[in-house]
Amino acid sequence: MNKPRNSHGLWNSGLLPCIALSLFLVSGCATSEPARQARPFNKIDPYENVNREIYKFNDMVDDYIAGPISDAYRYITPKFVQTGVANAFANIKNINVVFNDLLQAKFVQGAEDTGRFAINSTVGLAGLFDVAKSMSLEQHQEDFDQTLAVWGVAKGPYLVVPFLGPSTVRGIPGAAFDTAVNPTSYVATPFQALSMLNARANAEGALRFIDEAALDPYVFTRESFLQWRDNLATDGKSNANTALDEEGLDADLADATSGAATAKGGFLTMDKFGFGKVSNTFVLVKDSFDQTTLAFEQANSKLDRLKFDHSKLLMLPTHYKVH
Amino acid sequence: MILKKLKPITALLLVLLSMMGGLAHAEAALSAREVVDKFQGQLLAVMKSGKQLGFAGRYDKLYDAVATSHDLTKIARIVIGKEWEKLTEAQQKNLTDVFSKLSVASYAHNFKDYSGEAFTIDSEDNTTRGGVIVHAHLSIPGDKDVKFDYMLKDNGDSWRIINIIADGVSDLALKRSDYTAVLQNEGFDALMAKINDKISNYSKQE
Repeated sequence: MNKPRNSHGLWNSGLLPCIALSLFLVSGCATSEPARQARPFNKIDPYENVNREIYKFNDMVDDYIAGPISDAYRYITPKFVQTGVANAFANIKNINVVFNDLLQAKFVQGAEDTGRFAINSTVGLAGLFDVAKSMSLEQHQEDFDQTLAVWGVAKGPYLVVPFLGPSTVRGIPGAAFDTAVNPTSYVATPFQALSMLNARANAEGALRFIDEAALDPYVFTRESFLQWRDNLATDGKSNANTALDEEGLDADLADATSGAATAKGGFLTMDKFGFGKVSNTFVLVKDSFDQTTLAFEQANSKLDRLKFDHSKLLMLPTHYKVH
Repeated sequence: MILKKLKPITALLLVLLSMMGGLAHAEAALSAREVVDKFQGQLLAVMKSGKQLGFAGRYDKLYDAVATSHDLTKIARIVIGKEWEKLTEAQQKNLTDVFSKLSVASYAHNFKDYSGEAFTIDSEDNTTRGGVIVHAHLSIPGDKDVKFDYMLKDNGDSWRIINIIADGVSDLALKRSDYTAVLQNEGFDALMAKINDKISNYSKQE
């Protein structure tokens, strides 16, 4: 007699991913979208048609599953408990922040973030209270995707990942690394579920804002996500957005149009469900992993050079050191 | 005789007119920083009495504040981008009107109450294309500051806000992608309907 499989087994057997994939493809087929063929090619989002289907699928999952659970959590849980849970997970994430501080050679910030983690883990009762904030230790936001950006890895095309939402090709190895470094990934399933619930509950304000303000929520989410990530990767120093004025925007537009002509030449022929594009995406993600490995190697050689220069510096006469 | 009697009145009128001209000139002479400062002050004042005013009250009070500090026509034109040229004059006018209403409605909806917030202007920069960027931040008690960078251009009479960048996210660039996507994919009528829906949704809330 066949025993019913648990969900983990189903996922391993590949059945659940198939069901999930067919669900979003079916939802994509069922939706009539007359203007699809007329949509102009977008350099940053070449997989827009597929991305839109995944976005719709994620939206459906949020409407029927994640949203209601999050609403129930926010309704039954006192505010101070929600804050405590959010603080605790943010505190654990600081291990990842410190790691990325060091990889980006932000040593002072790394020391501050280590202090932040130490204070909140002890005085802040395992991170439930954000004591460090009252000591003017600001919460920094660093992750491996930003580290890769600092190392010069291009972000690649925009992607919407099933269940997880907006990303870029560079964001995939970034997220894989961050998941591996975050201790939450290794704890019992209920804690992981609570972590996801906390993340969804914290996103409530942003999701409501998109609902209220966006004419095309897909485009609105994409643009705000990409701008927000660029701003984080450059620590707010990017002048790409501050340089935008009338002429700048027109120049951007002209640039985007001229870029489209060359990009179209090498582009895969679109089949009905965009499988070609999906497989092309996997190739790009693989490329991004390769670039990540290369970036690691380059960073390593830079560190070696740094050590070498340092030793040379020690051998220099004292008056050189002053300069 | 009549002319003689009129002379002092005419002179008085002239003086009054010149004073009014002087006032208008003083208004025009506001620097980019002062335009932002004045607007932020008006916004805070509306927030402080936001609950009593309700949506309609906040909308009325903010309409002039937004219209005199922002270059709404220019913003609408930039947001629509190259599609602007393809619209008829009547469509351009309709679009500018509903766009202005949506901008004010969005302010009236998102700045509805006051809990100790404060705006501070930090610095200003000149852009290479003759504009000014005023860097400011909004302090929210118990929350992280929000950085606001206002981009202003001189429209000939006064400095006007043409873009606001909040924590690195440009409102102008965001709207341009959003509006042009709807315009290209669904057409002008759908765009107008969606904007009117948004205004109506904002106005239904308190």
